[in-house]
Amino acid sequence: MTESKTLTGSSLLFEVLKDHGVQHVFGYPGGAIMPIYDALYDSDVKHFLCRHEQGAAFSAVGYARAAGTVGVCFATSGPGATNLITGLADALADSIPVVAITGQVPTAAMGSDAFQEIDIFGLSLACTKHSFQVTDINELEKVLHQAFEIALEGRHGPVLVDIPKDIQLAEVTQRLDKLSHLKNKVQLPLADISKALELLTHAKQPILYVGGGVGMANAVEEVREFAEKTGMPSVSTLKGLGAINPDNENYLGMLGMHGTKAANIAVQESDLLVVVGARFDDRVTGKLDEFAPNAKVIHFDIDTAEINKRRTADAAILGDLKGNLPLLTTNLEISVWQQRLQQMKTDFAWRYDHPGDNIYAPAVLKTVSDLMPSNTCVTTDVGQHQMWAAQHMAFNDPSNFLTSAGMGTMGFGLPAAIGAQISRPHDTVIAVSGDGSIMMNIQELATIKRYQIPVKIVLIDNAKLGMVRQWQDLFFDGRLSETDLSDNPDFVMLSRAFDIKSQKITKKSEIKAAVEEMLDHDGPYLLQVQIDAAENVWPLVPPNTANDKMMEGA
Amino acid sequence: MNPMTLNKYQLVIMADDKQVVLERILQVTRYRGFLINAMNAEVNTGNNVATITMTVSSDRPISLLVDQINKLIDIKGVKVDNSEVQIQQYSA
Ligand SMILES: Cc1ncc(C[n+]2csc(CCOP(=O)(O)OP(=O)(O)O)c2C)c(N)n1
Ligand SMILES: [Mg+2]
Repeated sequence: MTESKTLTGSSLLFEVLKDHGVQHVFGYPGGAIMPIYDALYDSDVKHFLCRHEQGAAFSAVGYARAAGTVGVCFATSGPGATNLITGLADALADSIPVVAITGQVPTAAMGSDAFQEIDIFGLSLACTKHSFQVTDINELEKVLHQAFEIALEGRHGPVLVDIPKDIQLAEVTQRLDKLSHLKNKVQLPLADISKALELLTHAKQPILYVGGGVGMANAVEEVREFAEKTGMPSVSTLKGLGAINPDNENYLGMLGMHGTKAANIAVQESDLLVVVGARFDDRVTGKLDEFAPNAKVIHFDIDTAEINKRRTADAAILGDLKGNLPLLTTNLEISVWQQRLQQMKTDFAWRYDHPGDNIYAPAVLKTVSDLMPSNTCVTTDVGQHQMWAAQHMAFNDPSNFLTSAGMGTMGFGLPAAIGAQISRPHDTVIAVSGDGSIMMNIQELATIKRYQIPVKIVLIDNAKLGMVRQWQDLFFDGRLSETDLSDNPDFVMLSRAFDIKSQKITKKSEIKAAVEEMLDHDGPYLLQVQIDAAENVWPLVPPNTANDKMMEGA
Repeated sequence: MNPMTLNKYQLVIMADDKQVVLERILQVTRYRGFLINAMNAEVNTGNNVATITMTVSSDRPISLLVDQINKLIDIKGVKVDNSEVQIQQYSA
């Protein structure tokens, strides 16, 4: 410990943010966090005033995911803090490093049902990786450093730090000499490398199953090299999209509920799954007992708790994927398998020759994907448009496709795009949203307006909660309960109210020019794309069904 | 009546002695599908080590819970103390 000039807890917060390279934060002020907002006034940190704390949390998530760094958000006590929760839950489900700072009522008032007092520390237990409540000013600096370390250590995740108002105002007399270090838990490194190599040499029909962990482990290069050198056919989860080069001839696309037919059949027929940074999510496996029934499993993960959680691993390799995967590179004799799958990939390729004049959503998204600059970052909301984006757009890195995968949170797309654009000011950022989802955080158009954030919004408008409507049609006898949105606001007029250039298209013939206009526009832009309300996402593996029993549309 | 086979396990958990640590263990144990049959906690002792022993039962393998408790930042270590004991439980 060294003596230094006195500063308050609030100004200490900004010192620590600086230590961790934080340049941007997203937040919303209020009574119990006023000392921090007062210190912000003198700070070099750039704060973006979002119009709802949920927007702030999602912008922090988008920032973190697009830039591969920690996203930071602020909220006041009580309702400010509870408004962060959905964003934290989303970050937990998708393992995103976020540090959330909440104001709390003064320590003396805590536990008295004070004005705007809620036990956010208690609420955080189920929706963060870790959380702190600071009740001693001398703990603040250590806790803040730990928050950043924990968010990024091992499997990433959100960390909440709740700071009572008197701690924000208290004077700090002692500073830490150096960054604190997390205690390292001694864990037996599980690394069945030789077992894995043996499985690999005996495999005739192996599949590389790629998840979101690849991007977060910074191992895109290693995974691509492994896929190229071994020639192993690969499939991706929703969060893994972009990890495998979309041009790889042995890459079959997304697997799971709305996966490609080739990917799902290949996985079902495989005799070995090499799983990298994925966790056998139920949206991926369909009926678990019938998922890849003849496959042995080699599971790479950073999180011990994912090994054997849903599927037993025949060989488990824990730890850093970047270092571990190359150890498994060998020559494989699998040309018969490769050719069969390449043939399937060709036979079941997507088609865009949709009849009629109306707009076919997959065709618009394909056009956007073909015309957008190469390092464009795409975010999505949740629903049919999300699945169409995953199926029909191509991404060259996982940090270029930000979607709420684990939590499936409507309202994610717009604020996440704002965060992404702020972290990558020179890249194009496109939010693919739905007419239902966009209304969940529509207030963030005001954030776009205030900071002139040049986000492009492609609004796939079916005047429906389309994905729910699809399930009602398929599995609930067409009883369309509460999924009609035909009285939506006029989205073009709404955009104009926020100074956002906007256009609506309704015909196939308008697509190309409209997409070009949007991409050429310097500022923010909303392209409303009216599609047929009856359009479904295909293929679809019905719930609790094996992945090879896909339903396919007309 | 469905006979359901539950396995019973005793866990010994060592943790940083923070006030919240019991709540974290309880939350994870419930969420991951384990019943707590008994619990003894020596916490807030002032020596920075909390020791919690608990007997839990579930039809799920105990490794699921051990791995998740181990993941909690405040936890120093988890040990399964006894070999599993099978009990029968009938649920309506
Ligand atoms: C916050 C939240 N509430 C409810 C849902 C359930 N849900 C999933 S998709 C969907 C419909 C989304 O409608 P829209 O954004 O218009 O997308 P579309 O399916 O029509 O493309 C709903 C209600 C959800 N995922 N998230
Ligand atoms: Mg819709």
